Amino acid sequence: MRSNRVGWLMLAPTIAILGIFGIVPFLYVLYVAFHQWNPFGANPYMIYNGADNFRRLVFDNEFLTSIAFTLKFAFFAVVSEVILGYLLAQLFMREFPGRGLFRTIHTLPLIVAPIVVGSVWRLMTTPSIGIIPYLLKSWFGYDLNIGRDATMAFALTVIMDIWHWTPLVTLTLLAALVSLPKEPFEQAQIDGANRWQIFWHVTLPMIRPAILATVFIRLMDALRTVDEVWMLTGGGPGAATRYLGLHIWKIVFPKTDYGYGSATSIIVLYLTLVMCWLLYVALVARRDQKRPS
Amino acid sequence: MEHMVDLDEVDDEANTIVASPQRTGFLPIVTNWFDRVFVGIYLFVALELFWMRLLEQSIPLSVCHVLAIVLGVLIVWRG
Repeated sequence: MRSNRVGWLMLAPTIAILGIFGIVPFLYVLYVAFHQWNPFGANPYMIYNGADNFRRLVFDNEFLTSIAFTLKFAFFAVVSEVILGYLLAQLFMREFPGRGLFRTIHTLPLIVAPIVVGSVWRLMTTPSIGIIPYLLKSWFGYDLNIGRDATMAFALTVIMDIWHWTPLVTLTLLAALVSLPKEPFEQAQIDGANRWQIFWHVTLPMIRPAILATVFIRLMDALRTVDEVWMLTGGGPGAATRYLGLHIWKIVFPKTDYGYGSATSIIVLYLTLVMCWLLYVALVARRDQKRPS
Repeated sequence: MEHMVDLDEVDDEANTIVASPQRTGFLPIVTNWFDRVFVGIYLFVALELFWMRLLEQSIPLSVCHVLAIVLGVLIVWRG
């Protein structure tokens, strides 16, 4: 029997890091979620309160509304990023003058910190000083004010997320497209397939793993977005852009209600896992099951 | 090199690992035990939250604990 000692030894640093920075904090948050704990309140000690935080959560209309807003935000942002990212990846596959420069410029948003992205977009959309309201007013006569217009505030958070994260999708899909073998495409062309058929029956199945990985990463990111939206809209107007991450931030920091904030975080993690798992089952597990072995 | 890797042996081992735990139960996908535990925990949490929201006023939460555990065991055992 072969010894696995070397394998475990090589995995040990990863397991240690995952344990210290992933599993231990998770278990601590889970522990806090079953307590009432406001360290800056009258009683700063943790008091066990069973499932009371979760009971409060299912009746919290602000939380339930923020779930709906977050799902809507994640759907529009991720779908747009994947479609746009794929089109840009296809564009970068072609030869055209200045391709390298365009590719570099296109990747620049990725290196900007989310908090900076939020503040730049805030400056660009502030009425009276921002360039976007100015151009919209002078070209179309449209008065943009995200402090008043909930629909525009929501749309702008989506557009900002698309601007920031589409390059990541493009790079991932570009790597997938570049690594594809040429033979299936040549074979499809010989068989008389048109561009749509080649895309649907050849390209898409072959880059499916890359698309799935990208969707998972972006979906998880979109469900916990905080800083960009915080800088751009502060969660307003009203609660129109108060997404889950922002909701938790408001519970934990301004209100210092750590127990309830932890319970909310656990439920958000739960929702994220459920959504990713359902997506995985719908797109991978059931499909693999149908394949002849 | 002191230790050479026997590729045939590695392939055999990989085949054994992939082949043994998969099976089909009443769940609509092929699962291993980890998948079933995962689904069981998902449903446990979902059932508890729905119970708290909709039924706890009339039926105590302990009933939900029992039902959720039974459902979890059923999924792990027959799922």
